[in-house]
Amino acid sequence: MSSKLRIFMTGVGGQGTLTATTLLARAALSVGLPVTSGEIHGMAQRGGVVESTLLIGCKSPKIGLGEADILLGFEPLETLRALPYLKPGGLVLSSSEALPPPSVATGKETAPSVADIRAKVTACCGNACFLPVRSLGVQAGAVQSGNIALLGALCALGALPFGKDVIAATIRATMKPKVAEINLKALELGAACPA
Amino acid sequence: MAHPLLAGAPGETHLFLGNEAIVRGAIEAGIQFITCYPGTPSSEVPDTFFRLSPEAAYTFEYSVNEKVALEVAGGATLAGALSMVTMKHVGVNVAADPLLTLTYIGSPGGLVLLSADDPGCHSSQNEQDNRIYARLAGMPCFEPSSAQEAKDMTCAALGLSRELGAPALLRTTTRVNHLRGPVILGEPTVLSKPAGFQKNPSRFVPIPAFARPMHLRLLERIEALRERAESSPFNVVSGAGTVGVVASGISRAYLSDALDETGLLGKVKTLDLGFTYPLPEKLLASFMQGLGTLLVIEELEPVLETEIRALAQRLGLTLNILGKTPGPLPRFGEYDVALVQTALRAALGLPEPKKQACACGDASEVALPAALPNRPPNLCAGCPHRATYVAVRKVFGDTAVYSSDIGCYTLGLLPPLKAADFLLCMGSSISAGCGAAKAAGQTVVGFIGDSTFFHSGITGLVNAVFNRHDILVVILDNRTTAMTGHQPNPGVDKTNLGDNPVRVDIEPLVRGIGITQIRKVNPLNQKATLAAIEELKDLSGVRVLIAEEPCPLFARRAYGQKRNQVAYVAGDCAASAQDGSCGDCLNTLACPAFYVEDGKMAIDPLLCSGCMLCLQICKNIKARKGDAK
Repeated sequence: MSSKLRIFMTGVGGQGTLTATTLLARAALSVGLPVTSGEIHGMAQRGGVVESTLLIGCKSPKIGLGEADILLGFEPLETLRALPYLKPGGLVLSSSEALPPPSVATGKETAPSVADIRAKVTACCGNACFLPVRSLGVQAGAVQSGNIALLGALCALGALPFGKDVIAATIRATMKPKVAEINLKALELGAACPA
Repeated sequence: MAHPLLAGAPGETHLFLGNEAIVRGAIEAGIQFITCYPGTPSSEVPDTFFRLSPEAAYTFEYSVNEKVALEVAGGATLAGALSMVTMKHVGVNVAADPLLTLTYIGSPGGLVLLSADDPGCHSSQNEQDNRIYARLAGMPCFEPSSAQEAKDMTCAALGLSRELGAPALLRTTTRVNHLRGPVILGEPTVLSKPAGFQKNPSRFVPIPAFARPMHLRLLERIEALRERAESSPFNVVSGAGTVGVVASGISRAYLSDALDETGLLGKVKTLDLGFTYPLPEKLLASFMQGLGTLLVIEELEPVLETEIRALAQRLGLTLNILGKTPGPLPRFGEYDVALVQTALRAALGLPEPKKQACACGDASEVALPAALPNRPPNLCAGCPHRATYVAVRKVFGDTAVYSSDIGCYTLGLLPPLKAADFLLCMGSSISAGCGAAKAAGQTVVGFIGDSTFFHSGITGLVNAVFNRHDILVVILDNRTTAMTGHQPNPGVDKTNLGDNPVRVDIEPLVRGIGITQIRKVNPLNQKATLAAIEELKDLSGVRVLIAEEPCPLFARRAYGQKRNQVAYVAGDCAASAQDGSCGDCLNTLACPAFYVEDGKMAIDPLLCSGCMLCLQICKNIKARKGDAK
């Protein structure tokens, strides 16, 4: 049972959440781990929430409430929304840069501030790491590559049963050279974050 | 480089989406002919077949609807081609007419129908259980639970269908279609060219005299199929004990993890059913011997449970059967590992597990999510549907009833557009709109997209003319099937693979039906659109407005469309301006590019698509050069 690992990922449609999920799944498979991943989208492509999962040592592609070892949030409000999926003692890695939903952007509703979200998440799990994912992506060459920075940070924390080198090899093997270069840079930028 | 779905060598392991694994399974079986109508969660199957089609040996088409898709593939299998038809669960309702007679006639070349069901209604209007169609039509049913099984069962179902001439059902659920897992490849088969149709009216023309013996042959075939299910490698018994569990589909994955988590692996007797209909009765009879309790785990309807109860009664067994009638399991929504664990414990007489705690306390009563602002899917920035809805609302407001249909434009349901009052199914906007208008004399505006119009809107429009209904039909022609991933339909000029050489024009088609009150506009031209709607409002009878403008996401990719201007707020648009001092775009358009800063409206230049709708509504908004999009 200890060989099981469940990662819950959440973000906003168009952010590249599913690209990151597939990359991680390919990396896991490349080192021979029994991996399953799942995704729920459909209508989510139109700016809605995109949730995906990656499980090692499980048959189910689904993660229930309180079951995730790791929560990867590509948007802070979505990190907070998905927090009930995290198990006690679990790890949270999240973007610290908000993409407010339209109701918030137009002042019709208010969302908790990133500082509030940070405080709430840290109070819940203590084991949280926030990084400026979009800025790191822009720094690497494309805003979407910020997701890969989050994976880099995950590797640096030693939270995966394989290292950054495996993800780097998967990026090289599956992406066009130009895109791969940006994502490799993002991976390094992310890995340098958790100090 | 050829795609591993086509070129992958036997023995290689690849990570495939469930839907990609289905494509590989079909290729390994030697698939020759594929038809479909796209729909989530099935769409990646036909889209993958389409993408690979320039390099592949099969014939592929996007058909205009599911009935047509099954009929085309039905003809292909009669001519000897190994065929597959793909659709989402509600599509099978559309295809039910040919389906229920095709199983009488049989499929000489082999035919598999993929029905992608959607427990939990992730992207559907209902969660109907299409395993019932296997019973109704008399076709074998396969229910995979992993990517590997999705490939293996597709291949096996096609082979069995061809061997016995029996149309087969491959029934998946959203979780299976959209999971990814390792798939070990097998050897692709190359079949000889289809032999062509062999004339034999008593076998292929179901006039009553021939249909009666056809039905008898179908019943015999079901028994032959049952024998195959008895010995199928997809039906596996394991474990031991006096408590048994039968599980099907994705529930088998949940059961496997639940047994592992609870340490019960090997301590209960399990029957994994993958080839689920016809029910392998001998296998089940032997499985039930010595059991005191049997738990049946299947999402949605108690299909297997009811059949197993009937079998137990016939065999005179007195074991206690649990499932949903009565039992611990619900008849709606998706299952998961925790739910299966709870059901297992109930079957074993163990105390209920402690509620799974999450990092913030008791997971069952987490207070967080409800209080957070939602992020509902929305029409994209620059979506032409928004422009049409704004104009229609300006003319009709809440005085008209808005009959909606299925597509991106259903998202116009939410305020401030509020452009969807009711919806039945694909194509219903016109026909149901006619009924609503005639019953009580209300003004009805029906909205239908181009693909949905071709799917089943045309028949409703012909009916509206013939029965002299009173309706304004707005055809939202965005030149593609946007919602499901930009698949082509008969009206498009571009597909993801290039030009569409044969285009069916909507306007002459509508004219040909006999409708004369037609206007065609580009909805991004608000003045012309408003004028056309005003004119049509003053008329009666069947009126059609064609609002034509490509989906901007598709236009960028397929047409290479570049817009190098963005909108910005030059004047003062207060966030709460409803005093007439500005156009109040913020509160009437719901464009995702709008936001409020320091109480004033602003436009995000990165999100603005340059459609310039807001410019035409508010004098304070101007255009400037921006990044080409």
